Amino acid sequence: MNGESFLFTVFALATCLGAIAVVFSQTVVRMAFWLVISLGSTAALFFLANADFVGAAQLLIYVGGTLVLLVFGVMLTASGPYLKIATSPGEIVMGSCVGLLFLVVVYASLNGVNWRKSPAAATENSNPVVATGKTLRPIGLSFLGSRPDQDLTSDGDTLTPGYLLPFEIVSVHLLVVLIGAAYLARAKRRAGE
Amino acid sequence: MVGETLRNLLMIAWLLPLAGFAVEIFGGFWGSRKSRVAAWMSVGCIGIGFLCSLSALLIWGNSNSWTVLDHDSHDETHVDTDHAKPADALATDTHPSPDSHTSHPPVVRGKTVYSGTLYYLARFGSLDISLDYYIDSLTLVMFTMVTFIATCIHLFAMGYMSEELTEELVDHSAHLSNGHHVHRPGRYYRFFAFLSLFCFSMLGLVLAGNIFQVFIFWELVGICSFLLIGFYTERKSACNAANKAFIMNRVGDFGFLIGLMVLWTFFGTFRFGETVNDTGEVQAGLFQMLARDETGNVLRDAASGDVKIGAVTTGADPGGNRTIPYSLLVVAGLGVFAGCVGKSAQFPLQTWLPDAMEGPTPVSALVHSATMVAAGVYLVGRFYPMFVQEVLLTIAYVGCITLFMAATIAIVATDIKKVLAYSTISQLGYMMLGLGVFGWGAGLFHLITHAFFKSLMFLCSGSVIYGCHHEQEMPKMGGLWRKMPITAFTMLVGVIAISGLAIPGLIGLSSVFAFSGFFSKDAVVATSLAFVKDNPSHFLLFIVPLITAGITAFYMFRLWFYTFAGKPRDQHLYDHCHESPWIMTGPLLALSFFAAFCAIGGEDGPLYRLITGDQPAHIAHGIAAAAGSGEITLPGHDAIHDVHGTAGTLALIAAASGTCLAWLLYGTTLVNVAEIRRQLSGLHGFLVDKWHFDEMYDALFVKPAHVVGQGCAWIDKTVFDGIIHASAKIMIFVSKWDKLFDEAVVDGFVNLLGNSTFAFGRSLRVIQTGRLRQYVMFIVVGVVALFAILFTTFPG
Amino acid sequence: MTGRRIGLIQNSKFLLVRSSMTADLNSYLFVGAVLFVCGVVCMATKRNGIGVLMGVELVLNGANVNFVAFSRYTDLGLDGQVFSLFVIVLAAAEAAVALAIALNFYNNHLTIDVDRANKLKG
Repeated sequence: MNGESFLFTVFALATCLGAIAVVFSQTVVRMAFWLVISLGSTAALFFLANADFVGAAQLLIYVGGTLVLLVFGVMLTASGPYLKIATSPGEIVMGSCVGLLFLVVVYASLNGVNWRKSPAAATENSNPVVATGKTLRPIGLSFLGSRPDQDLTSDGDTLTPGYLLPFEIVSVHLLVVLIGAAYLARAKRRAGE
Repeated sequence: MVGETLRNLLMIAWLLPLAGFAVEIFGGFWGSRKSRVAAWMSVGCIGIGFLCSLSALLIWGNSNSWTVLDHDSHDETHVDTDHAKPADALATDTHPSPDSHTSHPPVVRGKTVYSGTLYYLARFGSLDISLDYYIDSLTLVMFTMVTFIATCIHLFAMGYMSEELTEELVDHSAHLSNGHHVHRPGRYYRFFAFLSLFCFSMLGLVLAGNIFQVFIFWELVGICSFLLIGFYTERKSACNAANKAFIMNRVGDFGFLIGLMVLWTFFGTFRFGETVNDTGEVQAGLFQMLARDETGNVLRDAASGDVKIGAVTTGADPGGNRTIPYSLLVVAGLGVFAGCVGKSAQFPLQTWLPDAMEGPTPVSALVHSATMVAAGVYLVGRFYPMFVQEVLLTIAYVGCITLFMAATIAIVATDIKKVLAYSTISQLGYMMLGLGVFGWGAGLFHLITHAFFKSLMFLCSGSVIYGCHHEQEMPKMGGLWRKMPITAFTMLVGVIAISGLAIPGLIGLSSVFAFSGFFSKDAVVATSLAFVKDNPSHFLLFIVPLITAGITAFYMFRLWFYTFAGKPRDQHLYDHCHESPWIMTGPLLALSFFAAFCAIGGEDGPLYRLITGDQPAHIAHGIAAAAGSGEITLPGHDAIHDVHGTAGTLALIAAASGTCLAWLLYGTTLVNVAEIRRQLSGLHGFLVDKWHFDEMYDALFVKPAHVVGQGCAWIDKTVFDGIIHASAKIMIFVSKWDKLFDEAVVDGFVNLLGNSTFAFGRSLRVIQTGRLRQYVMFIVVGVVALFAILFTTFPG
Repeated sequence: MTGRRIGLIQNSKFLLVRSSMTADLNSYLFVGAVLFVCGVVCMATKRNGIGVLMGVELVLNGANVNFVAFSRYTDLGLDGQVFSLFVIVLAAAEAAVALAIALNFYNNHLTIDVDRANKLKG
C-alpha cells in the first residue's frame, strides 16, 4: 500500500462514514457537521485524483458557500438548533434496507462494466494533463473555448469545442437564481403595514 | 334562299311573343299594376309578328309568281295546283296519270313547300326529337290569319281588361266564405303575358314540321287555355271550367299519343316533309312514305293487304319493303283525330267549350273561337295525307253529329256568349264534315272565314258585355243598337256572314254577292252533296248540314234581334249601357271588313286558292272505290263542281228561311215566343240541358269514379289501416320487452363497467399519499426492482 | 454492453479487492455510489426539509466523484472536471432556491416538517 492508496483509503472512509452519519443523525446541526466532514473529504479525494481546481472549487463553494446557506436556513426556520423531527425507527430500518439493496445493485452494475474501451487507453496516465494534476490553465482555456488537452482540429469541426457558451449560460443562470432566491425569501410585509 | 327568308320571318313572328311573355310576366315586379306597358309590349310583339307573316306570304307568292292564283290553269284546264307541287312533280311525272287532262303538259311552277330542321332537341336511339318547320301555303295563311286576329284581339283586350288596372279590384262574381266579395290586386300584365304565351304556342303549332312538335305545342296551347279560362281564379266556376277544359283535352290527347306511337313504330319518323339532315342526306317524311296509286288509294301489298311504306318522291324504298297493317293505319288516324276531337270540341268531348266562356271575353274570342279550337281542324288538314277512307268517314260523321247538336242547343241558350260558344262548336263541326267528305279546301276555307267572323262576333259580345257592365243574359238586353251603333253594325256583319246569306246575281250572272261565310259553307255543303251522290247510303251527311244551315241562321239572328233590336227589356241596364271606346271598336271595324270580304270570289277567289295552293296530291281527283268492294267513293273537284250550283241554292234557301223565322219570332211581335216555348217544354228542357251530356258523363264516369273511390277508401280504412294499426301494436309490444332487456342487460353491463372502473380508481387513490419522502422511496424501490428484473431476465 | 459482467456472483475477487482499498477507478466509483445511496436514503427518511436538501447535496457529490474519477482514469480528459464544476455551480444555485422554498414553506406551515405538506394526497 503506497501513500496514495493510504490517503485515498482514509478520505474515502471519511467520506462514506460522514455520509452515513448524515443519514443517521437526528438534529440538523449534527447533520450539517457530518455533511461538512463528508464534503471536505470529497474535496480531498478530488485532490487525490489530480483534479486540483475542482477540489478547490468544492471547498470554496460547497463547504464555504452552500453549507453557510444551509446553516442560515437552519437558523431561519428551526425554532431551535437542536430541534428534532423524529423519524420513526421502522422507517429508518426500512430506508436502510432499501438503501443497502440499492447500493448492492449499483455496485454490481459498476463492477460488471469494463470501463476501458481499448488497450491503448489502458494506462492510468492516458491523459497527460489530467495525470500531472496541472489542470488550472487548461480548464481556464476550455472555458475560453480552446482545448489544449485534446487534439480536436483534425476532424475539421468549426464549432468551438470548448465550454465558453455553457460557461456564459451558467453565469446568467446563477444571477437569475440568486435574484429569484432573494425574491422568494424576502420578508413578507403584511397588508396595511 | 326563299325558304330561309320565309323561315326567318316566321320564326321572328313565332318567337317574339315568347320573348314578350318572358318580360311581361314580371310586369308586377318591375312595373306598376296601373301600367299599360305590358299590354303595349304584347301588342307590339304580335303586331310585328303580323307584319312578318304578311311579308312572308308576299315573298312566298312572288317566289312562284302568284301562280297559285292563276285563273286559267285552275278553272279551265283543271291542271290542279298539286301537280305543280315540286315535291310531287317527280312522282306524278314518272307515271302517266289516267286523268285525260294531264295530256296537257303540266304547268311547271316554283317550289312552294319548304321544310327543314330548326333545332335538334334530343336523340333517343333512332328517334330524333327536333324542332322542324314545314312551310306551305296553308302555314302562311294560318300565320297571317292568327297574327292578324290576335293583334285585333290584343288591342280590344287593352280596353276590355282596363278595370284590372288597379291595385285593389273587387270581384263581384267571387265570394268568400263569409259572403264578402273578393278583393285582389289587378292582373292586367298577367293577362297579356298569358296572351303572348298563347300566341307563341299557337304559332309554334302551325309552324311545326313534325307531329311530335305539334304535340308539344298542342299541350302548350292547352296550358294557356287553362291559364286563361281560369284567369279569375277566385271564381269557383272559372276554376271548374279550366279544369274541365284541361281534362277533356287530356282524354283526346291520350288518343293522340296512341296515334304517335303507331306512327313512330312503323314509320320511324315524325316529320311531315322531306328534310336534309346533317350529312346532307335527304330523309323522307311521313307524307312521302305513304305511297298512293293513281286512283288515290294507298298502295297495298297484294297478298297480306298491308300498306306499303315507300318514298313517293325518289322512288327509292327507304323503308326497305316495310309495311304497316291497314288496321293500324286506321288506328293511327283515329288516334290523331281523337286529339283533334278534344281540342276542337267535337262530339263527344264538346262540353268543355261552353264552360270555357268563364274566361274573359277576349280569351273566348282568341282562344275558343279563332285559334285554339281551330288547331284541331288545322291538324286534320295538315295530317290529311295520312288519313284513309274509314278515318275520313268517322271524321265526317263526328262533324255531322256535332254541328247539328250544338246548333240545336244554341237555339235555346240565353247567355250571349254561350250562344256564340255553341255556334263555334257547330261551325267546327262543319269544318270537320267538310274535311271528312274529302273537301280539304272547303273545310280549311271555312276555318279561315269562321276565324274572322267568329272572333268579330265574340269581340262584339265582349263590347256589349263591357257596355252593359258585365251583363251577359240576352233577355235583359234589347234595343241596344241605339246605344252602341258600331257594335250593332259590326255584329250584323258577322251574323250575316255566319248565316251564309247572299244576294244572287248582283254582280254577275253566275256570281253572287255575299259575305265570307256563304262561300265557305257553300263549299262544305257542295262537297257533302257530291259525296252523298256517290254514296247514297250516307245521305244524312248532306241533309243534316243543310238543315243546320237554316238553324244557324235562325239562332244567330235570334241573338242579334234579342240583343240589339226591339225595345229595351231592362230599362236600368239600357240607361247605363254605353258604346265602347275606340280601342275596342277599331278592331271590330277591321275584323268586320275581313269577315265580310275575305272570301270574295268564293272558290275562285284568292283566299281559297291560297289555301289550296299546296293541297295533298290525291285530293283533286277524288278516290274511286273498287267496284263491289263496298268502300266509299270520295269525290274529286269535278264532281264537286258539278253539284255546286244545286248545293248553293239549297243552302241559301235554308239560310233565308231560318232568317225569316228568326225575324218572325224575335224581330216582330207577331208570334208569342213564350207560348211556343211552353208548348215544346219537353224539347226545350232537353236542349237547355245540353242534351244531358254533362249528366250523362256524370253518371257514366264521375259517379262510378266516386263509387270506386269510396270502395278504395273503405278498403283503406278497414284493411290497410288495420294492418298498419296491428303492426304498430306489435311494434309497441316488442318495444316494451326491448326496453326491459335494455334496462336489465345493456344498462346493467354498462353500469357494472363504470362502477368497477370507479372502484378501481378509488383504490388507487390510497397510493397517492402526498408524502414526498414516500415518493422518493417508491422511486428507489422502483429502480431497484427494474434492475433486479433486468439482471434476472438478461443475465448475460 | 457486450463487455458487461455481472460482478455480484461471477466476480470471485469481490471481497479480495475491497479488502485493500487502492486508488483505482472502481474504488472511486464505489465511494460515489455510497454517497449517492446515502443521499437517496437521506431524502427518503428525513422529515426535516433541510435534511432533504442535504440528501440532495450528497447525491450531487456522488455524481461529482464519478465525473472526476472518469476524468482521471479514462481518456475523457478535462470534460469530467468541467462537468463536475458545472454541477457544483448548479448545486449552489439549487441550494439557494431550495432554501428560499424552505423559508416560504416555513412561513406558511410554521414548521419544516415535509410530512405536513400533503396537499397532494389523493
